[in-house]
Amino acid sequence: MFQNFRLSMAWLHTWFGLVLGFVLMVVFFFGALSVFDREIDRWAIPESRFAPQPMPSFDQMLLPVFQDIKPLPESIEQAKSRVNGPMADTFTPRRYGAYTTHRDPVLSVFVGFDLPNAKDPEDGVFGVRTIDPRTGRALSDDHLKIGSQFFYPLHYSLNWHWLNLGTWIVGFAALIMLVALVSGVVMHRKIFRELFTFRPKKHTQRSALDLHNLTGVVALPFHFIFAFSGLVIFGGTYFPITHTQLEPLHELHEKHEAEETGLPHDRAGVPGTLASVDAMVAEAQRRWAAKGMAGEVGFLAVQHVGDANAYVSVYRAGTDRVTLTGEGIHFKGATGQVLREDPPFTAVASINNFLTGLHLQHFRHWTLRWLYFMGGLAGCVCIATGFIFFVEKRKRQHAKQGASGARWVDAFAVSTVTGMLIAALSMLIANRLLPIDLPRRGDWEQYIFWGAWLLAFAHGIWRTAPVAQARMAPAWAEQCWAVAGLAVAAVLLNGVTTGDHLLRTVSSGYWPIAGADLVMLAATALAVMAARRLRQRAQGHALPRGTGASGTTGAVRA
Amino acid sequence: MPESLLIAVAAATNLLGLCWLALAMEVHWEQVRGATQLSLGSARLLRSLGVLALVLSLALCLAVDHGSMASLVWFMTLAAAALLITFTLSWRPRLLAPLVAWVPSTHATP
Repeated sequence: MFQNFRLSMAWLHTWFGLVLGFVLMVVFFFGALSVFDREIDRWAIPESRFAPQPMPSFDQMLLPVFQDIKPLPESIEQAKSRVNGPMADTFTPRRYGAYTTHRDPVLSVFVGFDLPNAKDPEDGVFGVRTIDPRTGRALSDDHLKIGSQFFYPLHYSLNWHWLNLGTWIVGFAALIMLVALVSGVVMHRKIFRELFTFRPKKHTQRSALDLHNLTGVVALPFHFIFAFSGLVIFGGTYFPITHTQLEPLHELHEKHEAEETGLPHDRAGVPGTLASVDAMVAEAQRRWAAKGMAGEVGFLAVQHVGDANAYVSVYRAGTDRVTLTGEGIHFKGATGQVLREDPPFTAVASINNFLTGLHLQHFRHWTLRWLYFMGGLAGCVCIATGFIFFVEKRKRQHAKQGASGARWVDAFAVSTVTGMLIAALSMLIANRLLPIDLPRRGDWEQYIFWGAWLLAFAHGIWRTAPVAQARMAPAWAEQCWAVAGLAVAAVLLNGVTTGDHLLRTVSSGYWPIAGADLVMLAATALAVMAARRLRQRAQGHALPRGTGASGTTGAVRA
Repeated sequence: MPESLLIAVAAATNLLGLCWLALAMEVHWEQVRGATQLSLGSARLLRSLGVLALVLSLALCLAVDHGSMASLVWFMTLAAAALLITFTLSWRPRLLAPLVAWVPSTHATP
């Protein structure tokens, strides 16, 4: 079919890269934002703007909170088809969990409940709550944590949960990402000789390709490992054999594991008491310190709540290692006696935990966090310049033939690149403008996000028409101006509505908010630069669009 | 505080090392020093110094963090340095001249 291997790789890279590139753009951009998901949460929920807190006292604060939590109405609603007969009115808690990180001022707590008359006896319903760990007061569930509950799931599932379809699409895109990287390396003739090459003054097609190669090559291992570890993390979703073909084996394995670890798999059916969990936490911390791994508690769970078989698991917040290492210690609930300390991982589990930890970055390392952010944005630039190259290479020929392919690709590209920024910024603006007590406020924010994106898409289709005549699309410059305006508006609105303007946040060193505002201002600067270069380029054809393109995609830094 | 200082030094060393490696390439040398030539010996020296600086940078990263973390920091810093150097070479190449001020250059032989 092709004359040589290189040409077949080029075909693969071009067409798969183009189609899945639109998905990958979203994955990379919201992945880069997810590096700072907790900080974006602070920005979106002003009442959570205080310093990160350690796990509070279980006995004093968390226990009453857990006892007060009821199953979520949505959770009960969804379970209706999974029970025989009518739904119960009361639910017995069977599992408590509290999770925090070194970047979380607020604490997420979780309760799993039995589901009476469930078709599957293991089935249950759940309740969640976010509390201020200094007082135990609950935060409103109507306030969406935009970073960790919207941008982050967008990164791995496109927030399309029906049949897990979003996760499957992202997984396929990640697979294609690996293919695109390998085929890209095969296509590239001068990978080392042109490593430091970017020629902004050459014609657009050349400079776009330079930038595409540069951002692809310098971060190649980053792109590769992240695409790969992302697939590893969702391995259980893509190959759900433990809950399909191998379900009986999985259950048997769980029972064996329970015998081996001494941690009861089932409830005893006899009511039991719970000793001081704070004492167990203190003991766990003493044991970690003795191993030279002193640390804070990241995850605390009580299994078989209220039963004689109850046990408490205490996991360390993994802050100083890349790998996910909880160093879990498990205690008998009734007595506080240590049942088990998790042994070191096997080699395979270690690799898995390393890859997962590398991707999920629970560690405390701000330099590395910013470098990851940069890596993600480099990926965005790589994909965006790929689109631009595709269009530039074909638009003249398409114009001659009267074909509209290049125009449509440009329309999709502009709405994926700048349109996505417009959507994200519109959501942040909505977050600052919607009435604070609006019911289901978080849902409105999401509607505005998708609505703004749809508008940007419509604008993209409309204003890329000149591409069909091999001219430049005004859509890029116009959307750059929109990005610049929206970013400034978001920063100003944050200052006006919360009083946390940059002067205050920078002088008091509250970097989660100052950082978000500064990044948005940097995005403004880049978007303005890009828009101006695009205009210069549109006026005099001598000036190549490549420089503008670099700015445009640089504007991804919102 | 000394830890963040060490990371900063590691990043600077990384940048310097990669810069020398880039400038040992003829096309980039010319961008920085105009139409002069880099002798074979000087190019070799720049390359060796570059590698040495990168190794030193890795050692500094390892001194601050656990090995797994340090290698990631080193690698990602390398990527950031490569981007920074490329953009400097594209827009303000002369800014890099002081880093090779001590290297003699010969005029291109006709």
